[in-house]
Order: sequence, then structure tokens, then C-alpha cells
Amino acid sequence: MEDLNNRIKNVIIESLELEDITPADIVDSAPIFGKNEKGEGLGLDSIDALELGIAIKDKFGVSFSSEKEETKKHFASVDALAAYISEHSKG
Amino acid sequence: MNSLAGKVLFTAISVLYPLIIYCGLEFFGLSPRRLSLLLLSLAFFHFLNFTRNKSSLDRWRMIVLVMLVLVCAVVAFAADNILFVKFYPVLVNLSLLAFFAFTLWRPPNFAFRMALLGDKALKDSPSKNAVENYCRKVTIVWCFFFVFNSVVATFTVFMGSDKIWSLYNGLISYIFVGLIFAVEYLVRKKVQRKMQSYVPVCDLEQSSRPEGALVSFEADGVDNKTWRDFVSDVSKVRYHLEARENTPWILHCEDSYFFTVALLAMLQSGRKALVTANRQDAFIKEIRKPEYGFLTDEPFAGGAATMIQDVLAENVAGGPVKFDKFDKSKAEMVMYTSGTTGEPKAVYKLFMQFENELFELVKVFGNDWVNRKVFSTVNHHHIYGLLFTALLPIATGLPFRRHRIDFPTEFANLLGTSAVVASSPAFLKRLAAETNQPIGFECAPIIYSSGGPLPVEVAQKASELTGFWPMEIYGSTETGGIAYRQSKNGAVWTPFEVCKMSVAENGCLNIKSSYILEEDGFTTGDLVDLYDDGRFLLKGRSDSIVKIEEKRISLPEVENRLKQTGLVRDVRVVPMVGKRQYLAAAIVLNDAGLEKFAGSPKLAINNYFHDYLLQFIENTVSPKKWRYLEELPQNTEGKIRMRDVQALFNLAESSNFKILKFRREPGVWTGKILFPSTSDYYDGHFPEFKLLPAVVQVDMVLRIARNFLDVPKALSKIHRTKFAGPILPDVPVILNVKYDAESAKVSFTYTHVPAAENDVPKILSNGSLTMNSEESLG
Repeated sequence: MEDLNNRIKNVIIESLELEDITPADIVDSAPIFGKNEKGEGLGLDSIDALELGIAIKDKFGVSFSSEKEETKKHFASVDALAAYISEHSKG
Repeated sequence: MNSLAGKVLFTAISVLYPLIIYCGLEFFGLSPRRLSLLLLSLAFFHFLNFTRNKSSLDRWRMIVLVMLVLVCAVVAFAADNILFVKFYPVLVNLSLLAFFAFTLWRPPNFAFRMALLGDKALKDSPSKNAVENYCRKVTIVWCFFFVFNSVVATFTVFMGSDKIWSLYNGLISYIFVGLIFAVEYLVRKKVQRKMQSYVPVCDLEQSSRPEGALVSFEADGVDNKTWRDFVSDVSKVRYHLEARENTPWILHCEDSYFFTVALLAMLQSGRKALVTANRQDAFIKEIRKPEYGFLTDEPFAGGAATMIQDVLAENVAGGPVKFDKFDKSKAEMVMYTSGTTGEPKAVYKLFMQFENELFELVKVFGNDWVNRKVFSTVNHHHIYGLLFTALLPIATGLPFRRHRIDFPTEFANLLGTSAVVASSPAFLKRLAAETNQPIGFECAPIIYSSGGPLPVEVAQKASELTGFWPMEIYGSTETGGIAYRQSKNGAVWTPFEVCKMSVAENGCLNIKSSYILEEDGFTTGDLVDLYDDGRFLLKGRSDSIVKIEEKRISLPEVENRLKQTGLVRDVRVVPMVGKRQYLAAAIVLNDAGLEKFAGSPKLAINNYFHDYLLQFIENTVSPKKWRYLEELPQNTEGKIRMRDVQALFNLAESSNFKILKFRREPGVWTGKILFPSTSDYYDGHFPEFKLLPAVVQVDMVLRIARNFLDVPKALSKIHRTKFAGPILPDVPVILNVKYDAESAKVSFTYTHVPAAENDVPKILSNGSLTMNSEESLG
């Protein structure tokens, strides 16, 4: 799980060409888009969301449903994304 | 012949002429000479008719007709010959043929003249052109009939049989006429079903549509809204508004249905509507005066707000339904765009402007929309979304979806729906990137794209995927829609008919139209090539407003916001294009900033400014990359050039080095660089005494040369390199890089930063490299 989280973080950094951020800077449970009340989170925007969706699909071979709410849930945090990927890439 | 009776008599004689002649010959044994008197009287009637006719074209036709009828009558009388008596129907046919054909040549055509007489509203309807086209075809059919009928009538004259002549001209040809009328009526009904119905928004009334007509729908079909719901909801909001003092209302609703209900209520109640996509607390605070209302559909923390859901849930006691016409030239609105001055720019609108534009849109595109549903991937708080996804559906009666399509994959849910999709280049780019298979629509959607130019390759891919080549709309908040194009037909824009184009002094496009209030028209910031026929090519923007993924943002605005932090001495924000479009900010901190951020990691500083900006601007247009410099790059004239700043961002900054300041002149780059002690560059070399290895020094030179000086990629040779002193961690050095394109030679010098102005800088190392210029060509 730990390893998968790191891979996801690297995909996030690479696919969005993020500067000044290392995997260690990304909190596993913090939101990927926007921020939580503690001010944690990457604060990415909706354009990044689409870009990232494609990158995750390419790297991990999982696709996301066309239901917006559900997809939003999976992209809530690195942890949530890892859970979704490990669940869907096996089958 | 002034009386109605006279006209009836004339028409009766004219129509029954073949029968009267037949009876005269057959039953009363009258001679052709006597019968020619009837013809003579008809000539007289025609003459009387023509003297009262004012149109000059008809005068000539009538004169010719009268002359010919007269000649026939005279010859028939003189020669006592029945043939000339029988010519009358032929002459009438030819005369009608001449008239109908003439109206084709000099529009409006005859059928359309009749249609205009029948329906006064047609003249001001967006369907006018379509109707006129149809009537043209009808007129052509009549022309063919008159040719045919003249030929047959002539034939019956010469056949010699009185019976056949009178049977054909007195009955059969009339049956043909009746048949054409009947068939045309049926065809017309069918064509009308294919024409888009349209009621101006300001003229909508409760009775404008059937109660059960679908107005708005939700993906799951649960929260569908009918015309009855719509009327009653608008009425409820109106009661709420009108129970309060007449003040302007700020409006922001994510749900398109709520938005449309609220907007129409404000317009009908005569409340000025301030429509804003940005609902950040700080922004609302800026545009709001204390007495202003704020109507929204999502909880708002930054002050008092009225939830539209609460208003709709209120139980209005009794009272008639409030839903009626309003004066479009008095209803006021304000839209927001980013202005050049740095403050968000409010654009004042009279509803008349939108109404006039709707009319144009229906005229040009309306007939493509019949029986479709409207979907959107764009925000209805901006003009394009407002027009296409809120006002147009209401004016045309097409149902619209309450929520935006956010992901291209959602198209999979629309396969069986005939859709109109108001979209944008940003969305279509994602669609093209994410989708490999044609989507399989049963009926290809009609896709509009606006907000920025749509690359041809994206348009082509979208057309392969959806079956429709997106129709681009060019316009702005200030001007409304200006022109349209489908890029498969070239990059040229076709203006809407009401838009009159010209080129302003600064080379930018100027537009005058019925939906621009300024008498001198509006001059855009877009450079233009204008053709004689009004079509034009765009040549790029000339001012400092840029578009980031279709969102318009003024660079000075972002810069001013950053300066507002009180931590920034100087700043330059530039637009960048990589995988996506984004903004990047080069910042020079002032003393307060330096103190505040002393020892902070760069990420923390980035986050500070990013979070600050999010109070005012959307995330998408907030800078994504940051550089903190000692000073902004200037050329010799002291000007900061955008492309120099952009070049800085093209060189990815890592934790291994920092460019603190630089200058770029043709072929020369001079900059101050710092290699922090945490840099990987020192690893493995002299752990006790860190100094920058030679290979790293050369590598840095190559990076700088390639990024700033357009040097070929490949290195062919490293020449003499002298190392005179160490480059130490955390001690800035000056790097000077020169490139001579002719010899393909790069030379460099690292020196100490001089302590005082006139110190002779101490050289740390220097050398030269030869680049492989052949390679760059290949």
C-alpha cells in the first residue's frame, strides 16, 4: 500500500509537472483538489483533474465511471485513490 | 369600378370567360365578332385596374396585357375569328408568369409577399429568411405551372374544339391550380414542423407554452421541471423580490434551472441583476453595496445571502401568478470580466442586447435545434453560457439540463438523446485526449465551442468522435457573439448579419451591432485581417488579457493582487503553454516579504501566495509556477519582456540551483545563480569540503544556453576549461554565457559576485564548448 501511494504521488507530480513538490510533501489523507480545513491539500484545479484522470488510467490501467460524484470520491485523497486502484487493477 | 361589386363582376367574368364563350357559341349561336366585345370589356377592366396600380413593375405588365387583349379583341372583331377570342386564358397565364418570375428576380418573391400580408409578425421573426427561401421555391413551382398551362392553353386554342378549349381552360386548369394549393399546404405544414419556434424572453407569458412542456431536466430524471413549475417558481421569486425594496441583486446559482428562474424573476420584477461566476467571499464583498441582495443556491459564508431553495419553499398565500412581459430596454444586468486596469471589470448590459443577440442566434442556428435538448459544459454566469444554456432554451422551448457536464465520459449517457451541447475548447481538448472510439450517438449532437480558439486537430478529432464538427462562436462579454465558423471550412470567421466590422486605428477589430450600445461600436483587443465581404481572420490578442483554459484573466489584475499582500516589491505574471495553459509568477519580495519567509521552504511561500489569490480569483487562473528573484529580468532599455520571463519558467527549477536574477541580450545571458548546500550536485565529491564539480558547471552552462539562447541541443566538443577557484554552496556566483551562432561556439565564465560596483570580478572558471549545429537542422 505504501509503495502504491508513492507511485501515485509520483504520477501526480510527473503528469501535472508540479514544481517544488516532492512525494514527501503530499499528505496521504489530504485532498488532492482544493484544501481541507487544516490547510492541507495540493489545491489542484479542475483542468488538473482531467489530466490526472488520464495519467492514472494510463499508468494503472483503471478507468473511472462517468458518474461525477463517484469519481470525485475516488479522487478525494491519495489514500482513496490507492484503495480504488488496488481494488480495480486486480480483476 | 370603385365598388366591390365591380371587382366581383370583373373576377367572375375573367374566371368564367371560357364557359361564357362556350355557351355563347354553342347555345346562343353568337358570332366571334359579338363575343369579342366581351374580350374588349375585359381589356377595359384590366385598364381600369392598372390605372389604380402604383407599382411601376405592375404597370408595365398591365400595359402589355391590356394591349395584347385589346389587339386580340380588335382582330377577333375585324376578322370575326374565334381563335383570337380564345387567346385570353393564354395571355392571362403569360402575364402571371411574367409577374411571378419578376418577383424572383426582384425579391421579395410573390409567395413571400402573400405570406407577409398574412402574418405581420413574420417580418420581425428570426425564421424570416427560412420562410422566404421556402416561398421562393413555391414561386418557382408556380412559374413552371404557368409555363405548362400557357402551352396547353395555346394548344387547345389551335385544336379547334370549343368544347375541349372551354373544358380545359374553364375547369381542368382550375383543378390543377387547386391541386397545387393543396399540395403546397401539406408541404408547408411539414416544413413548419422543422422550423424552430421562438418567443422573445421579454415577451414570455404564462400561456406561451403548454403547462406540461418540459423546461429543465436532471440526469436521473427525478427533478424534472415543466412549464407549470417554471412559471410558478418565477412567480414565487418575484413575490419575494417585490416584497422588498427595489435594490440590485447579486445572482449566483450553480443549478441552471434555479439560475434561469431567478434571473427571469429579477428581470420581470425590474430588479437589476448582477450575475457573477465568482462567489469567493472577498469578491462578493467588493461588488456588494450594503443594500444589495444576494440570491444563490449554495450556502454562503461571507455574509447575508438568500437561498433560492428557501424562497421556493415559502408558501405564498393566494395572490395571482406573477409572470408577464417586461420592457427589454429597461431591464438591467451586470456581467463580470477581468479588466485591463487590474480590478474585475463590471460590464453593464440592457436585456435588449441579449434579446437582439438571441434573435440572431435563432436566425442562424435555430432550425438545427428542432426537438433537441440542451446540454452544457460551460458556466452560465458568463455570456456564452448565459445565452446558449439559459436564455436560448427558454426562448425556444428546448429543455435544458440542470447541471453541467463535467467529464467527457458523461457523453456516454447521451447516446440516445438528440443534443445541443454548448462546450468550450478546454472540454473538447479533454474529450479528444481521453476518447479513442467514436462515441456512437444515435443522432450526432450539435456542438458549439466558445471562449477561445479551438485547434483544428481537436475539432477534427471531436468530429470523428461525435459526428459533428464543432461550430465555434467568437465574441466577448462586451460585444456578445460576433461571428462563427466551422474550422473544416477554413480559419475565416463569418460575422452575424447584424454585426458591422471595421478595423480600428490600432489594427484591432471594431464591431457595431444591434446588441452593442456604444455608438462607435466596440474595439476588441484582437488583431484582425478584414475582408471586403465582412468575413475576417484573427491574428492574436494585442493587450494584457489572456485566456487560461477559456477563462479570461487580466495579468495586471493578478499582479496587483499579489502586490496587495504587502510582501511583494515587484512581480510579473506570464501566460505559459505546456501540457495545459497556466500562469506563472516571477516575484521579487520586499523587505517585509524577505523577513516573513526567511528560512521557509519554497513550497510554503508558493502556498501562501496561492491561498491569498484564491480569495479573489479562480484556481485555474491562479499561477501554477513561482520564481523568487532578486530582480526581474530587464533588457538594456529597462523593459521587462514577457518572453524573458517565460523563458525563465521554461527552465524547470529544482532544489539544486536557483536563478536569482538575469539579463538576456542577443547571444548573451548573464545571471546570478545560487547552488544551495542541500543540492544533489555536491553528492559524492569531497563530503567534507563541498564544491561544485566541473561537470555540473558545464551542464549548467548547457542548460542556460539551450533554454535562453536557442542553442542546438547536441554538444560536439568541450574545449579548454580553466578552473581558478571553487564554487561554494550557498554562495551566489555570476554566470555569463555567450553564444556565437556562426561558429556554433558557447563560451562561459563563472565569477564571484563583486562586493562593490567597481570591483574587478574574480574569475572562478571559464571555458568554451562547440555545439553540433548540423544536428539541430535534422
